[in-house]
Amino acid sequence: MVDFRVQELTILSLLGRLGGKVSILQLIQESKLSDSAVMRAGLTLKEKEFINIYSEPSTVVSLSSEGKLHAEKNLPERNLLNSIIGLGGSATLDKAYAESGLSKQFEQIALGWIIRKKWCIFDSKNRLLSLSNPKKLILAGNDEKLLRYFLGKKPVSLDSITEDLQSAIDVLRKRKLLYTEEKTYRMLEITTLGTEAVKEAKIVTEKVTQLTPNLIISGKWKKLKLQEYNIKAPVAKTWPGKKHPYLRFLEEVRNTLVTLGFKEMTGSTVELSFFNFDALYTPQDHPAREIFGIYQVKDPKFGDLSGYAQTLEKVEATHENGWKTGSTGWDYKYSRSEAKRLILRGHGTCLSARTLQSKNFDVPSKFFSIARCYRPEVVDKTHLSEFNQVEGIVVDEKLTLRDLLGVLARFAIEVAGADKIRFKPDYFPFTEPSVELSAYKKGYGWIEFGGSGIFRPEVTVPLGVKVPVIAWGLGIDRLFMMRSGITDIREIFSQSLDWLRRKEVT
Amino acid sequence: MPTIEVNYSELETLLGIELHDNMERLDEMLSYVKSEVKYFNKQENIVSVEIKDTNRPDLWSVEGLARGLRSYLKIEKGPRNYFVNTSIVEVNVSPTLKNIRPYIGCSIIKEIELTDNIIRGFMHLQDKLDQTYGRSRQKTSIGLYDFNQISAPLSYVAVKPSDFSFVPLGFEEKMTLSEILEKHPKGIEYGHIVKKNDTYPLLIDSKQKVLSFPPIINSNDLGRLTEKTRNLLIEVTGTMYQTTINTLNLVTLALIDRGGIAYSATVNYPEDKFYSFRNIVTPVFKSKTVRLDIEYTRKVLGLDLTAQKIADLLLIAGLGIEKINKSSVDVIVPCYRVDVMHQIDLIEDVAVAYGYNNIEPLWRDLPTTGSMLPNQHLKDVARELMVGLGYQETLNYTLTSQEKLFEKMNLERQKVVELVNPKIVTMACLRNWLLPSLLEFLGNNQSVAFPQKIFELGKVTLLDDLSETLTRDEYWLAGITTHPISSFTEVKSVLASFFMNLGVDWFLEKTSHSSFIEGRVGKIIVNKKEVGVIGEINPKVLENWNLENPAAAFEVNLHKILF
Repeated sequence: MVDFRVQELTILSLLGRLGGKVSILQLIQESKLSDSAVMRAGLTLKEKEFINIYSEPSTVVSLSSEGKLHAEKNLPERNLLNSIIGLGGSATLDKAYAESGLSKQFEQIALGWIIRKKWCIFDSKNRLLSLSNPKKLILAGNDEKLLRYFLGKKPVSLDSITEDLQSAIDVLRKRKLLYTEEKTYRMLEITTLGTEAVKEAKIVTEKVTQLTPNLIISGKWKKLKLQEYNIKAPVAKTWPGKKHPYLRFLEEVRNTLVTLGFKEMTGSTVELSFFNFDALYTPQDHPAREIFGIYQVKDPKFGDLSGYAQTLEKVEATHENGWKTGSTGWDYKYSRSEAKRLILRGHGTCLSARTLQSKNFDVPSKFFSIARCYRPEVVDKTHLSEFNQVEGIVVDEKLTLRDLLGVLARFAIEVAGADKIRFKPDYFPFTEPSVELSAYKKGYGWIEFGGSGIFRPEVTVPLGVKVPVIAWGLGIDRLFMMRSGITDIREIFSQSLDWLRRKEVT
Repeated sequence: MPTIEVNYSELETLLGIELHDNMERLDEMLSYVKSEVKYFNKQENIVSVEIKDTNRPDLWSVEGLARGLRSYLKIEKGPRNYFVNTSIVEVNVSPTLKNIRPYIGCSIIKEIELTDNIIRGFMHLQDKLDQTYGRSRQKTSIGLYDFNQISAPLSYVAVKPSDFSFVPLGFEEKMTLSEILEKHPKGIEYGHIVKKNDTYPLLIDSKQKVLSFPPIINSNDLGRLTEKTRNLLIEVTGTMYQTTINTLNLVTLALIDRGGIAYSATVNYPEDKFYSFRNIVTPVFKSKTVRLDIEYTRKVLGLDLTAQKIADLLLIAGLGIEKINKSSVDVIVPCYRVDVMHQIDLIEDVAVAYGYNNIEPLWRDLPTTGSMLPNQHLKDVARELMVGLGYQETLNYTLTSQEKLFEKMNLERQKVVELVNPKIVTMACLRNWLLPSLLEFLGNNQSVAFPQKIFELGKVTLLDDLSETLTRDEYWLAGITTHPISSFTEVKSVLASFFMNLGVDWFLEKTSHSSFIEGRVGKIIVNKKEVGVIGEINPKVLENWNLENPAAAFEVNLHKILF
């Protein structure tokens, strides 16, 4: 079964009814549709292979203006006959003319044909007109039928006129009531496929497709049968507005972290090297700080550290010789201008450093951030130049390595839905001990899901924090990729509208 | 993260165990030293190992990896002892070097058999040390020479760039130091390190033969090693004393592990208060003693460990025990463990030796209250409204180019946050408005069904003299609709609904904006302040982004409306 527009159905069922092969001209007349509507419907039907369209030469029959008049008011001889019958079967010509209502110009014609058709006998002496056979009913001849056939029609093709009626064409042509001409016409022919569809179309035309406000208000709907639909037919697609799948996922992560008692932190995209590196005990000549490790801002080059004079002094001393942290330090000459260098933040840990520096927190405290981070990577299947990091800190007097593992285990279960977890030694310049977390999920396997550690004393002491701080970060991109079944990390920032539209909401 | 390639058979030999190509087992072993197998090329007999710890240069050779693993595998407990013979060479340092590259250390290795594998492995170590530990030769650089061709004593001097010439490694003719910086590939690569000074460092022997022009290049005569070379001179120059000595130690130890016999050199520094010492015998294989507090260890690890247990674990980690005290352990840290800066580094070694997976995780419910950022809820509401209005959310890069932000938008360039070191020209600055991102997105989706309606609620970064980073981030919202009959009316209706639902009073004022069609653009006013723009996109802009349908869009600063 196939869906039709009303016009398509009309044309197709007309074709079926009119013998399968019909000219456009006739379809226009029969359907009462406009030329263009018929053509449009015809083309659609042709595409669906329900009909063929081709050109064919054809004889077209049209009524003359006199013919049209007679088609509407009957032939003059019929009118004269009716008046004779009305006058009792016999009457004088003048009386009969008067009764017939014929106009002057048709009187002679009427008399001629009524005699020729042997309907009446004319007594010319007495000018008396009488029925030939008063007992015989005079039926409409083919000429009259043909005229009536034209009633309300535009020119018709010869082929569409039945053979009986065709015999009257000559007579009427001679009477100049109609004329014929040779023309080329577009023909529509129904195919077998179309014939099959027509069978169903018959049913359809008897029912109402669209329930309209008018039908409801007028109560007409009660008398109508609403057409059944093919509910399995394919339909046009609807695309809803949706949240971006990755942002939706981050929302979920954010909610989980809030539920676990973490407070969200934020900071600016452009960051001071001091917070991205120095405060995190990353030496100033560390490779991560070079142009291939971090994006540097062209102009302005340097930010303002004047609000952190005391912290800067302590961090400087810690880098150079360990200061009061119990460390040897990195053994190099610290540069304050390097500390002021503006960069795009390379990790979210700078936000933790800022939070600790602010001292604007209680003990215990838990913080997290979802931060856009930047690194000068060549973008490919596994690297982005710009990505999101989810990380944070836990601050409490009693924290130990066991708590660190506990926090990671909790994340593995709550965020990644892991079945099993595994810890490995890891390295970050700012944490010691450092732990890598791998999570195992059925159907996905093992993934490295997080990196973490306890902030080194070289980090916490200069920032004035006297209690242990656990720092953690989650491999959120890989988790999202696994859950969404994507293997190319660039799809997180997918530029495909189609992918976003089709992506299931999970 | 250093990645090193090691010869698989050599690794087996040095470890003293057979691995039977079992990379999973090797990977597990390597996790003790924060390393993992990247790949195993059986045909070439090479294992590539990634070492996460950028501060453990002692692991960056097959010898060092084996040494590190053997203790954890309990094949060899405690630190390995190394011996160096007395000084056989003197090196005199010129006073003019103090502001250029003040430190040097030398050692001599005799009776070494330089197989192809050893040479290759050694070059690899030298390169890793130069690049990572030596910060691309800035901090330290290493040179190796055929000791038999050198006439002691050596002089480490500073000379004018045009005063000296020699044949650099890999070349056939003599070049002055300045010519080397111009023509030699290493001169071009590392020249910036010395160029800032008027004089350049040079190492020569008593016959005025050049050993090297540190940290650029060795001489072709003395600095070329062959399989026939048996006796080597190693030289490390640097800007920091301890790092210079550490590097020399690491290189010398790797060669001792390969069967060489080490001899010292005496470095004579000038009488200058810049130097706190005069004569130093190098290498310096002196271990240091670090006192590890037992209570501190327990507190960090959350484990009830006895002093004896801690000492046992430290031995497994390859450290030595001088003595166990009442409340502390005196730990011997061998010279090659340059990463130990603080007790905490030893505590981690205790934990690794104990086994992370043998420690029971502990989750304590700390009395903290979680919360999102105060404006997070409003951001989510704004996104929800746009979604409800039928707009698909997109996520775009904030890194972009001035061409995209301005030229393609038919605007004059403005000052934005530009990068010194973009990777590609299309990601060279931070965006200061969102619509270019959305237009680019649409340009990539012209074959997808219309209508297309998308939005982004995202960050833009603006210059701001009052901020300590001289910039500030703001959250903006932009929406755009494109299809054959998209119009100003359509998008205005969306904006009206958006504002109505947020309870924001707003109106439009006529404006001119060359990204939009003249007469079909307005500025959005809320609380008497301009907060954004709305209009039909200029066909010129549509053309620039390859959009085939008309588009209408708006962009608003949420900070001025909601936050």
